[in-house]
Amino acid sequence: MSAITFRGVTFGYPDGPDALHHLDLDVVAGDLTLVIGGSGSGKSTLLRCVNGLVPHSSGGRFAGEVITFGRSTRDHAPRDLADVVGIVAQDPEAQFVVDRVEHDVAFVLENLRMPATTMRRRVEEALDALGIAHLRDRSPSSLSGGEQQRAAIAGALAAAPAALVLDEPTSQIDPQGADDVLAALTRLNADLGTTVLLAEHRLERAAPLAHRIVALDAGRVQAVGTPATVLADHPGAPSVTRLGRLLGWDPLPLTVREARAAAARHPRPDLVGEPVGAPGLPAPGDVLVRARGVHVGLGGRSVLHDVSFDLHAGEVVALLGRNGAGKSTLLRALAGLIGTERGTVSAEVAVAAVPQNPNALLFASTVRRELEETLRLLGRSDPVAVEHWLHALGIAPLAERHPRNLSGGERQRVAIAAVAVGGAPVLLLDEPTRGMDAASRRALHDAVVAHAASGGAVVLATHDVELAAECATGAVVLGEGEVVAAGDARSVLAGSLFAPQVLRVLPPFLTVSDVEAALTRSALGGDPT
Amino acid sequence: MGSGQGTAERPWHALTWVVWAVAATATLQLAPSPVYVLLVIVVAFMVVQTHGGSGGYARAFPVLVGAAAVFMVLRVALTALTTHGGPHVLWTWPALALPDWLGGFTVGGTIEAPVVAQAAAEGFVVVGVIAVFAALNAVVSHHELVQVLPRAFHEVGLILAVGIAFVPSTITAVRDVRAADRARTGGRVVRRGRLVRQIVPVLDLGLERAITLSESMDSRGFARGATSRRDQASGWIGLAGITALGAAFVALVAGRRGLAVALTGGGVVAVIGAIAVASAATGRDRYRPRRLRASDLVVMAGVCLSPVLLVIADTTGDRTLTWVASPLRWPGLHAVPVVAVALLAVPLVRRPAPVPTPTTATRETVAAVGAGVAAEVTT
Repeated sequence: MSAITFRGVTFGYPDGPDALHHLDLDVVAGDLTLVIGGSGSGKSTLLRCVNGLVPHSSGGRFAGEVITFGRSTRDHAPRDLADVVGIVAQDPEAQFVVDRVEHDVAFVLENLRMPATTMRRRVEEALDALGIAHLRDRSPSSLSGGEQQRAAIAGALAAAPAALVLDEPTSQIDPQGADDVLAALTRLNADLGTTVLLAEHRLERAAPLAHRIVALDAGRVQAVGTPATVLADHPGAPSVTRLGRLLGWDPLPLTVREARAAAARHPRPDLVGEPVGAPGLPAPGDVLVRARGVHVGLGGRSVLHDVSFDLHAGEVVALLGRNGAGKSTLLRALAGLIGTERGTVSAEVAVAAVPQNPNALLFASTVRRELEETLRLLGRSDPVAVEHWLHALGIAPLAERHPRNLSGGERQRVAIAAVAVGGAPVLLLDEPTRGMDAASRRALHDAVVAHAASGGAVVLATHDVELAAECATGAVVLGEGEVVAAGDARSVLAGSLFAPQVLRVLPPFLTVSDVEAALTRSALGGDPT
Repeated sequence: MGSGQGTAERPWHALTWVVWAVAATATLQLAPSPVYVLLVIVVAFMVVQTHGGSGGYARAFPVLVGAAAVFMVLRVALTALTTHGGPHVLWTWPALALPDWLGGFTVGGTIEAPVVAQAAAEGFVVVGVIAVFAALNAVVSHHELVQVLPRAFHEVGLILAVGIAFVPSTITAVRDVRAADRARTGGRVVRRGRLVRQIVPVLDLGLERAITLSESMDSRGFARGATSRRDQASGWIGLAGITALGAAFVALVAGRRGLAVALTGGGVVAVIGAIAVASAATGRDRYRPRRLRASDLVVMAGVCLSPVLLVIADTTGDRTLTWVASPLRWPGLHAVPVVAVALLAVPLVRRPAPVPTPTTATRETVAAVGAGVAAEVTT
């Protein structure tokens, strides 16, 4: 049975090109359906059509019809669908209406005019379903990202909707929080039969849980089917799936467990040589930034505790650790944006930083002007550098667009280019892969490696271990404001519980490109050098 | 609504805090002498320290008080430059007589100490009122306030509460944008054009947040359901009541006291009736509204005693309550007004439970993960 039906839906935002083109889709009732696709492929727009936010809230040109549990969004506004669809936006914090979790969960019930006794029961059930009963009296702003996201889901779930719609619910939270959120969604889907429609970029965790995947490309449905069939040739597939594709395994694995089973069934490929380590960068040069015994306190709470850290020319350092571990604070201290209570940070060269939220930075009317503005602030003009960074991050085709009309992943790249164009040798990037698709990550990876190879250095604060494995030479793990582990990226990542997937299948290789390089060497005649 | 405290048990009901703020404002009006105003500001500061938690409104307190102080200084400067006469000349500046069509007064000239002191004292009362207002915002749960409102005002009140929530999120946005602007150039500060560079992203962040929030409210059924006939009836009754109150004012000005009293009575009854009809029409139940406890009533009574004591002191001829700068002398201090102001500190007898820190795992877990790599650690 079809729960949500799209019939010939075409939609364009005001003053924008069409975001969806003649889209036909049936979302099966009771399924957990995953929507994937590149930045700007129309995932968010598709999700927002389900309860009529598009076009009722967005405005724009809308043709075709979306029927959600028998009600057409043409004549039902989002509030009229609140009893059948719960929707959760990407930024968990901005969607809370009430400053107490329990009352925020009850918000939808009050609006649906439920009697007090029913509300009381529904709130308890929703809190238990998401495992957040102990957080009921807290203010959402005091919760961690994963807790916030689960509280937001509880707020959508309280009305017992037939479908839950979530836009990248794990993109802003750490792997542990992401696991909690996805586990909660799987449980709701399995135990309550709730139809779940979910958009995600990072597929390592989400793809194995899905019954069906819908792949979008430029506003059209490119493929619909089981995860294994749709991911067979999708560039954003999980590492183990791409590994299986490389080695010709059938069926393609989606999880580490399936990949290990496949590896046991097939003969071990002839892999020559040791993995060379991330990008094959030259040996580190001089120290560019040196932090010694840094203590930072914010609002009376100790955030960084005795952190020492050297950044050399030619290094790419991944800064890992859960939300609230002090990653952003360390970046701010390295950039000289906050003072230290004790300890010193000394930089030999200019240090530029890109904020976590690109919107905090962007203000110009076009992407190109955004880059030129940085150079103007530095008192020079350098058209060559502007062109270089536009191309390096793959945003040259967007150069004349307004930054505000771009997708999250695209804006992220514009912000990085706008900072990098200033020519500071040290770049600090805070969660640069948030909302980025596979192609954007590739562009970011190449740009970061090229910057380090030319004598600069990059620090990436990230939850993305796969990215860290692909491009970092060093890694620092923070926990509760202390350095828990530090060293070369390979050994730190290899020893972690959250190691990259490929390591678990074909040790000591960390990434698919490691394996690919080894296969090439073997094909060339087995010379390990 | 990223606000307030992380903790649950706010010791006092929102209504108790409103009564506290009203009592404190009345105290400021009844005892505007700078010493008593200073005492009220100290109490407000302590209230924020104890009950404000680490939320954005507590951070907004010094910003608001600072802004009020700036206005006080401006006011003193303007008054000193334009008001002249009297003893204790501090210094003399060149004077400029404005033409008649600009008011004809003299700018500059003699600057007298009593004028400066009087203007400062008056400005200081305003600082006190702002401090009380900022403290109320820092300690009260705006949602609890909405729940105290008549049901007919629920949605309007909620919109106001959500609007107020943008104060702390805007302060955060300003901080983030300034940091981003500095970090962009590798620490080089460029002042020229900085306002535009910073205002556009702040507005952008605010707009983005507002859109997310409004969509979240819409998706969760806010303002669902069409207007009923009772809503319309309530609207008409309310309009009639407000018209009657307006007419009462006109009658009062015209000297028709009897008519004014009658119109006022009728207007008030109509407005209350309109609220009652609309509240019954919403058919809305509230989720676990907080009830007033006996301790809340005790605190309310305690803080209300403050203005009562001051009225008594005033009628018994306490000269320290108000202070006049001419002739120039130090403001006096009496025991009764000090006790009265101290009563405003009654809410401090209870403090909220500590806020849990936003972490999901313990140090031990971190250590366990770290143990796997301990061998390779090279710090």
